[in-house]
Amino acid sequence: MRDGLLDPRAVLLHESASGRDEAIRRCGRALADVGAVAEPYIEAMLERERTISTYAGEGFAIPHGTAAARQDVLRDAICVVRFPEGVDWDGERVTVCVGIAAAGDGHVPLLAALADVLLDPARARTLREATEVNHVIEELT
Amino acid sequence: MTSIDSKDIRKIVVACDAGMGSSVMLASQLRKQLKDSGVAVEHTPVNDIPADADVVLCHAGLAARARAAAPGKALVPFQIFLGDPAVTRLVTTIRNGGVVDA
Repeated sequence: MRDGLLDPRAVLLHESASGRDEAIRRCGRALADVGAVAEPYIEAMLERERTISTYAGEGFAIPHGTAAARQDVLRDAICVVRFPEGVDWDGERVTVCVGIAAAGDGHVPLLAALADVLLDPARARTLREATEVNHVIEELT
Repeated sequence: MTSIDSKDIRKIVVACDAGMGSSVMLASQLRKQLKDSGVAVEHTPVNDIPADADVVLCHAGLAARARAAAPGKALVPFQIFLGDPAVTRLVTTIRNGGVVDA
């Protein structure tokens, strides 16, 4: 796994958001704060979400930008932002957002690990309920 | 409608809008499920589907764009990224033999 892909500073486990768009902005901000994306990427994440939901099952969404917004990705990175009270996501309830910034394929192993977690309800629940940053990182790497 | 016999499938392409999120997750699962079958699995943006793709998988909401970008390819639309019945059927057909109508 590439160093810096999942920066502990981009794992935020006690956030709240009034809705989907605010949750996505929080993810975009987390990616910008660790230097992974330039500012316009955040709007592109909202634009991408409006075309097709990134809801991935088990209370997880994987917001990311558009193909055109790759130019605003400074390095491949992932953020994990947890909303313990849940966020309404076009009728689904999302507890964890795994935000993606990818110019290349550096994030592929982490998303493969996430897919394994989401297909195992017990592991998905453990990750949804995780309150320690290192537990989240262990589960996904 | 394009039909392809499972034994003629060499490459499956999972296409999504940006090629960085849902298609990556689905491709990783398919790669694992098909690893003994000799079928390659790639993920690409929907506007960048390679010419040698035999089957294209994409979200139903992108099917029209995928069809326009890769005319004449067998296209399997799905609704959910993980555990979609259409994807399960495709994997079963590749493993057991048969024809993919898509």
